[in-house]
Amino acid sequence: MRRLAIWVALVLGAVVFALPFYVMIAMSLKTAAELASTSVWAWPVNPAWDNYQQVLTNANVSFATFLRNTTVIALLTTLGSVLSSALVAYAFARLRFPGRDRLFLLVLATMMLPGIVTLIPSYVMFAQIRWVDTWLPLIVPAFFGGAYNIFLLRQFFLSIPREMEEAAFLDGASHWAIFSKIVLPLSMPALATVGIFAFIWSWRDFLGPLLFLNDPEKQTLETGLRLYQSLNAEQWHLLMAASVMVCIPLIILFLVGQRAFIRGIVLTGGK
Amino acid sequence: MSLSRLLRPLAVLVSVACGWAVSASPVQLRLTVWEGDQALTILKKVVQDFERANPGITVKVEPVNYGNYQEKLLTQVAARVAPDVAMMDPANFQRYARRQAILPLQPFMQKDPDFRLEEYYPQIVAAHSFSGQLYVLPRDIAPIGLIYYNKSHLRAAGLPDPPRDWTWDFQARPEFGERDFLNVVNKLTKKDASGKTTRYGFVPGWPQAILDVFIYSQGARYADNPENPSELPWDDPRVVNAFDLLVRMQFEERTVPSPSDMTSALMMGSTDLFVQGRVSMMQSGIWEVPNLRKKLIPGTPGFFEWDIALAPAFRDGTRAMPTGGSGYCIMSQTAHPEAAWKLTKWLAGEPAMIAMARAGLAQPAIRRLAQSDAWLPGPGTPLAEQYPRSRILTDLAVDSVVFDPTSDLWPEVKTFWTPVLDRALSGSQSPREALTEAKARATDRLAVLRSEKALPAFPWIPALGLGLAMVGGLAFWVFWPERGKWSGRAERKEARIAFLFLAPWIIGTLLFTLGPMVFSLMMSFSDWDIIQPAKFRGVQNYSEAVSTDPRFWPSIAVTSIYTVVSVPLGLALALGMALLLNTRLRGIPLFRTLFYLPALASGVAVALIWKAVFRAEGGLLNAILYGPNGEDPLRLAGWLNQFSPNGPINWLGDERTALASMILMSLWGAGGAMVVLLAGLQGIPEMYYEAATLDGASVWQRFRAVTVPMLGPALLFSFITGLIGSFQVFTQAFVMTSGGPGDSTRFYMLHLYQQAFVNLRMGYASALAWVLFAIILVLTIAQLRLNKNVYYEGAQR
Repeated sequence: MRRLAIWVALVLGAVVFALPFYVMIAMSLKTAAELASTSVWAWPVNPAWDNYQQVLTNANVSFATFLRNTTVIALLTTLGSVLSSALVAYAFARLRFPGRDRLFLLVLATMMLPGIVTLIPSYVMFAQIRWVDTWLPLIVPAFFGGAYNIFLLRQFFLSIPREMEEAAFLDGASHWAIFSKIVLPLSMPALATVGIFAFIWSWRDFLGPLLFLNDPEKQTLETGLRLYQSLNAEQWHLLMAASVMVCIPLIILFLVGQRAFIRGIVLTGGK
Repeated sequence: MSLSRLLRPLAVLVSVACGWAVSASPVQLRLTVWEGDQALTILKKVVQDFERANPGITVKVEPVNYGNYQEKLLTQVAARVAPDVAMMDPANFQRYARRQAILPLQPFMQKDPDFRLEEYYPQIVAAHSFSGQLYVLPRDIAPIGLIYYNKSHLRAAGLPDPPRDWTWDFQARPEFGERDFLNVVNKLTKKDASGKTTRYGFVPGWPQAILDVFIYSQGARYADNPENPSELPWDDPRVVNAFDLLVRMQFEERTVPSPSDMTSALMMGSTDLFVQGRVSMMQSGIWEVPNLRKKLIPGTPGFFEWDIALAPAFRDGTRAMPTGGSGYCIMSQTAHPEAAWKLTKWLAGEPAMIAMARAGLAQPAIRRLAQSDAWLPGPGTPLAEQYPRSRILTDLAVDSVVFDPTSDLWPEVKTFWTPVLDRALSGSQSPREALTEAKARATDRLAVLRSEKALPAFPWIPALGLGLAMVGGLAFWVFWPERGKWSGRAERKEARIAFLFLAPWIIGTLLFTLGPMVFSLMMSFSDWDIIQPAKFRGVQNYSEAVSTDPRFWPSIAVTSIYTVVSVPLGLALALGMALLLNTRLRGIPLFRTLFYLPALASGVAVALIWKAVFRAEGGLLNAILYGPNGEDPLRLAGWLNQFSPNGPINWLGDERTALASMILMSLWGAGGAMVVLLAGLQGIPEMYYEAATLDGASVWQRFRAVTVPMLGPALLFSFITGLIGSFQVFTQAFVMTSGGPGDSTRFYMLHLYQQAFVNLRMGYASALAWVLFAIILVLTIAQLRLNKNVYYEGAQR
C-alpha cells in the first residue's frame, strides 16, 4: 500500500516535471500555422522536422559552430580545473608548510564568495589586456584552481591511506612522483567528479560568454541560442527546435556518464 | 598616471606569452549591425558588392540583436575591441560622440569632392548631428506613420482608400465618412454575436507608435528640450487623452487588440495579423514591406490588394508622426579610417540604398533616390515589387516626422516610460495615475543626472597602494604566527615544494579573486566608464544606492522575496523527492533522471520553454487552468477573472504575477539539490533506522531523529548554495522579462548588470556588488552560526 502511494506520487511528479519538455518538443515539431490553431497539448499530426533543418541551415547563425566552440571551451576548462586543483589539494592534504591552516581557511572563504564581486573588475582587467572577444577569459582562470574543487579533492586525498606513499617516500620517491603515480591514480572517482562539474558548469555558463564574447562566430550554445532568439523573435516553433538541440548534448552526456556522475555527487554532497 | 598605462606592460607580456598575432596585410573591417534575419541577408549581399568593388578590403559582418545592441557596442568600445563601422541611430549616437568614441564625418567629406551631403534629407542629417558635427551618415529615414491597409476589407465596408487629408478626433465622426480615422476603424471592425471581436479595424505595430501620432499631432512632446531636457510634461492633458483614447479602443470598443492580446492571445505579431486578414489596417514603418511581399504573393491563395496611407492628421489638420531612421558611424578605434569611410559611404550611399529600396526595406536617406524609380514603382517594376504602390507618400511623410529626444540622458529617462505603457495599456492602472507617477520618478532621476558635478580625478597611486597594503595585511595574518618556526633543512625543503604545488592557486587567487576584489572595492568609490579617465566619487556611490537610485530598493525587494520563497520551497521539494526516491522500487533511476534533467538543461532554453508555458493564451499553464479551448474544466475561470478581467492571466506580462511565475519556474530546477540530498540519505547507515524502529519510533519520529540530523551538512550546504545562487539570479530575468513589467522582476543582478554594462557605470555597479556581497556574507555567517553543530568532516585534521 505504502509502496503504491510512493509510486503514484513519483509518477505524478515525473509527469509534472516532464510536461515542459513535452511542450518544448511538441512545439518544435509544429508549423507556425499549427502552433496558432492547435492546443498546446496536441501532438503534431505531421511532425515538422523541417523546423530543425531550418534552424541548422540558418544563414546567419551556425549551431554547429556554437557546439564546437562550447566543446572546446568546456574541455579546456575541465582539463585546467582538474589539473590545477589536484596539485593544490595535494599540498593541502599531504605537505607541511607555513600558514597552511590559515591559507586553507582562505580557500574555504573564497568558496563562499559570490561571483558578482569579481565580475566587474575582471571585466575591466580583461578589457585592459585586450582579452575581451577571445575565449581566454573563459578558459585561463580555470587553470589556477577553483576553491571548491580544491576543497573536494583535499577531502578525498585525506581519505586515502598513507602507507603506500610512506613506503615510496622511504624509497626516495619525490612528492611529484607520489602525486602523479600514487595519489592521482587512486583518486580517479574524485577527479572525474571535479571534471564533470567543471564541464557542466562551463557548458551552461551564460554570463561569462555574454560579457566577454562579441563575435557571433565565437559564441557558445547558450549565447548562440540567445542570439538566435533575438534574430528570430516570436517564431516559437523554430525557437523550440533550437532549444531542443541546445539541450541534447548535455543530456546525452549525462545519460552516458550517469554512474560516474551520481558517484561524484555521493562524494560531494554526502560529506 | 592612468590605470591603463600601469597595466600596459602586463598586457604586452600576456599577449606575447599567448602568442598573440595581429593579422596584417589586406584590410579587414568589422561591421556591427542590429539587422534581423531578413535585412541581414540583403545587407550581406551589399557588403559582397562592396568587397568586389574594393579589392583589398574584406568586411566581417557581426549582427547583434537590437535589444542589446547599444550595451554590446558600448562595452566593446570600453574593452577596446570596437568594430570599425557600426550601425547607429539618433537616439543613441550622443553617448558615443560625447566620449569621442565615434569620429566626426566632416573631415572625410571635405577630402571627398564627389560626396554631396545636401542630397540627404535635412531632417535625418540634423538628427544625427551634435554640436555642429555630423557623426552618423544616414542610410534611411523611416517615418512610423504609414498605415498599411487591406483594400478588400475597405471595399467590402464600402470605403475608398484612405484619403491624404483624413483626420482623427477623440470621438468617431461618421459624418466625415472615410475622412475620419475612428469612423473607418469602427466600420472595419467585425464582431460576432457575443460581441467578441473577430476582426480588428486597426493595430499599431507597437502601442507607442499610435500614441506618438496622437500625442505629437496635438502638439505635445515628451520633453521640453530634446537636446537637453529638464521638464517632462508627461501628465499633459493631451498625453493623458491620447492614452485614454487608445485604452478605450482596446477595452471598450475593442477595435484594437491590447498588448496582451497581441503578444500572446493572438500569438502573432501585428504583421501576421495583417497578412492573415485578422486586422484591416496596421501602422508601422516601411520596413514591413519585404515581409509582406514574401507572405502576400499575387496570384496565390490568401493574397489581397494592399497599400499604404499616411497616418491621419489631428482634427485641426496637424500631421506628425514618430520616425525611425539610422545610419553608419566610424568608430574612433578603427585602424583603417579611410577604408571605414569607404564602407560607410557605400552602406549609407547610393549602392546600398538602391538595394535596400528595391527590397522595399528602407526609404533612401538621399532624397533624389527616394523620388527615383529605385524606390517608386513604375511601369517597368516587376509585379511582386509593385506593392505598396503609393510609395510616393513616404517622401511626404518626412515633412511630418518628429525625432525622439537625442540627449544622452534620454535612454535612462525612457526606462521610466515603459511601465506606463505596461500598466495603462493592460488596464491595471489609469493612464493619468500611471503617467503622473512615471513623470515624478523620471523627473527626480533627471534632476539627479543633471546635477552631477565635475569630480576630481581618481587617485590611482594611493588607491593601488592601499590595495597592496590590504593584500600585504592578509599575507601578514597568514604568515606572522609562523615566523621562526621553519628552520630545519628538511622542513624548509618541504615548504618550498609545497609552494610549488600551491603556485597555481596563489597566482590564481591574486589575479582572479583577491586582486579583483580589492580592485572592485577601489572602483566602488569611483565614477568610471573605463573609456574616459576615472573620477573620484567617494561614498556617493553608496549613498546614491540607498537614497536616489529609483531601482535599488525595488531590486532588493524582488530579490529578497524570490529568495525567501524559492529557496525554502525548492529545498522542501528537493527533500520530498529525495525521500520518495530513497526507496527500493522499480524504476528509481529513471525517476531520478527525470527529476534531475531540468537542472541540466540549458538556462536560456529553460527560460524560453517557460516563456512558452506562461503565455496568456496557448500557454501550458493557462491551458491547465482554463482548459485548452477555454472549456474551464477546473471551474476556476470565474474566480480567475476577478484578477484578470480582460482575458486569461498574462503570467509574465502582469506585475502581480511575474515574480511568482519565476519562483514557480525555479522549482522545476529542484532536481539539482535533490541529487545532493539523495546522496546524503543513502549515506545514512540502515542500522540507525532499525534501532529507531526497534525503539518504537514512528515514521515522523525517525525522520526527525535520524534523517534530519544525519542530513544536516547536505541540507545546510544546499541551503547556502541555494541562497548565494538565488541572490545572483540573472539569466531568467535577462532572457524572459528584462526586469519588467514595471520593476516586478528587476533582480538585483540584472540591475547591477544594467548599471555596469548598459550605462557603463562601473564604479557605481562595483558599489552595488559590494552591498550585495555584504548582505550575502551576513546571511551566510548567520546560517553557519545557527548551525554550529553541523560541521564538514575533516575540516581539521
